[in-house]
Amino acid sequence: MSENNQATTSPQAPAAAFGGKGLNIAIVVAAVVTVAGIGLWVMQLSGGLVQTNMRNLDSWGLYITMFMFLVGLSAGGLIISSVPRAFGMEGFGGISKVAVWTSICCTVLAIGFVVVDLGQPARLWELFAYSNLGSPLMWDIIVLAVYLILSIVYLWATLRAEAGKVSQVALRVVSVFALVCAVLVHSVTAWIFGLQQAHELWYTALLAPWFVSSALVCGTALVLVVVIALRKAGYLDVAQTNIVKMAKMLGAFVCVDLYFFGCDLLTSAFPAGSGADQVAMLVSGPLAPFFWIEIIGCALAAVVCFVPKLRTNPLLIVASLLAIIGILCKRVQLLVGGFQIPNIDYAGPMTSLTVTDWTGGMTGAYQGMVYTPSALEFGVMLGVIGLGVLLLLVGLKFLPLRPPISEDVR
Amino acid sequence: MTRYGMVVDTARCIGCMNCSVACKQENNLPKDVWWNRVLTIGGEDIDTPDGDFPNNTLDFISINCQHCENPACVKVCPVGATYKDPETGIVRQDYDKCIGCRMCMAACPYTGVRSFNWEEPKYHIDIATGDADVPKHQKHVVEKCTFCYQRIARGEEPACMELCIGRARFWGDFDDPNSEVSKLIREREYQQLLPEQGTKPSVYYLV
Repeated sequence: MSENNQATTSPQAPAAAFGGKGLNIAIVVAAVVTVAGIGLWVMQLSGGLVQTNMRNLDSWGLYITMFMFLVGLSAGGLIISSVPRAFGMEGFGGISKVAVWTSICCTVLAIGFVVVDLGQPARLWELFAYSNLGSPLMWDIIVLAVYLILSIVYLWATLRAEAGKVSQVALRVVSVFALVCAVLVHSVTAWIFGLQQAHELWYTALLAPWFVSSALVCGTALVLVVVIALRKAGYLDVAQTNIVKMAKMLGAFVCVDLYFFGCDLLTSAFPAGSGADQVAMLVSGPLAPFFWIEIIGCALAAVVCFVPKLRTNPLLIVASLLAIIGILCKRVQLLVGGFQIPNIDYAGPMTSLTVTDWTGGMTGAYQGMVYTPSALEFGVMLGVIGLGVLLLLVGLKFLPLRPPISEDVR
Repeated sequence: MTRYGMVVDTARCIGCMNCSVACKQENNLPKDVWWNRVLTIGGEDIDTPDGDFPNNTLDFISINCQHCENPACVKVCPVGATYKDPETGIVRQDYDKCIGCRMCMAACPYTGVRSFNWEEPKYHIDIATGDADVPKHQKHVVEKCTFCYQRIARGEEPACMELCIGRARFWGDFDDPNSEVSKLIREREYQQLLPEQGTKPSVYYLV
């Protein structure tokens, strides 16, 4: 235990019960996957995005789905660690730094997914030179950048505060800013979609709060999985009461998220106009599998979180994974669902660039899901995720993220 | 001020797709890219009628960028690569600026009028066709109907106006009350595409 204490003051202190060979192998594997992903990305850029299954009528796909998902995942860590500090409440016992580190990794991943989606990544500098400040995409880029920087500052401030170099007051101020920024980042990401009247499924005022609640669900679930796994691996020690506290929170977030979904479905379906078609598409149409996995998975997760007898570690892991998968399914519904009902569906000339499955004409294209990713897209996705895992593991190995032994987490 | 726009008389359109071909040829459009498409209103396929026999109808509508007064695409472009030309009211696209994020394609309500070059542009023949002033097509950028900006700049009409054998297409300035197009929408009944979207298109369809 004295080793643990040392680790917080000296970044060089070796990990005792954690790390070693297993961690090193994992880092190497993640690095290899990352490099392979970069290779596939170069292939995508040179051979063209035509190798993906995105086309004119379904112009965003897996990458933007993952972008939405990872922005959400990044929430949990930062919020779990900053809420108690910002409001001066009791925290979750020393997991704060690990939680923020998962947040930072997810934010980097989210940015990575936007970059691999771009047709002209070499022109990224134009975002700063010719910024159109009216574009929700520009807002998101700004807020994401601020969010990433604030998360890093927050982590750094936490470490300095533990060393007594930064006052608790200053840390609290940083945590308030980080919290506000976290809420903003999800709202702005939602507005990329929610402000587009062209897609009925997206165009709802509920989308921003809903993105916040979904982010809380999958973010908290991710922290739970990481913390239980790290405790098992001997990296840190967390009291079961803190795990239970987080599980209850997860349950509450899941209920709020499902409630929002219910509100949205009811509002869309009730007038029995075009909104009813959107609901039918989700409930019984091509996207039904994703809809029902989300609903059932989230409901089960809530049950596990709320029933004391079920709150065992394996079941909590299962519940967290169900919640994460559920939110991923929600992202798929949102993205593909947005393109699934075209505003103008008259028959016309179709080419291989019009829509993913163009050979059956307009009717054929929308029979199943209008978009399913290509193998290359899955490959590039794995590469980006590899980068995130690499970052996470390297951070766990080299950064002093363990809780100090005498931690009085506030 | 000038607000260029089109009036298409759907009663005179016979669905020959000459306007599509004129556009393709004038703008040297790559293989599989169409900026102006003639859609069949009704049946499941091109040129199939609507309704049950003998009560069938066969109508067409040509759809290109609607050059909206309130364009959804311009608002969302993070770098201003798609912008509204204040002189002409034409919504333009700067290929050199476009970062290929496809936000404009997501924002545009008019399904399919924006087209992304998903690969290095390919052509059916080795030589470039059409106008010498057409900017070179680029890989991984969004493009669309420009109202043949290169022709407008020389005081000509868009190419699709010229080949229409039904004389169904009209071109002019909606800000000029004496223009042919202004008169047409004053005197004839017309529709616009997706008016509920609030984009105020500069393309009118006579019914």
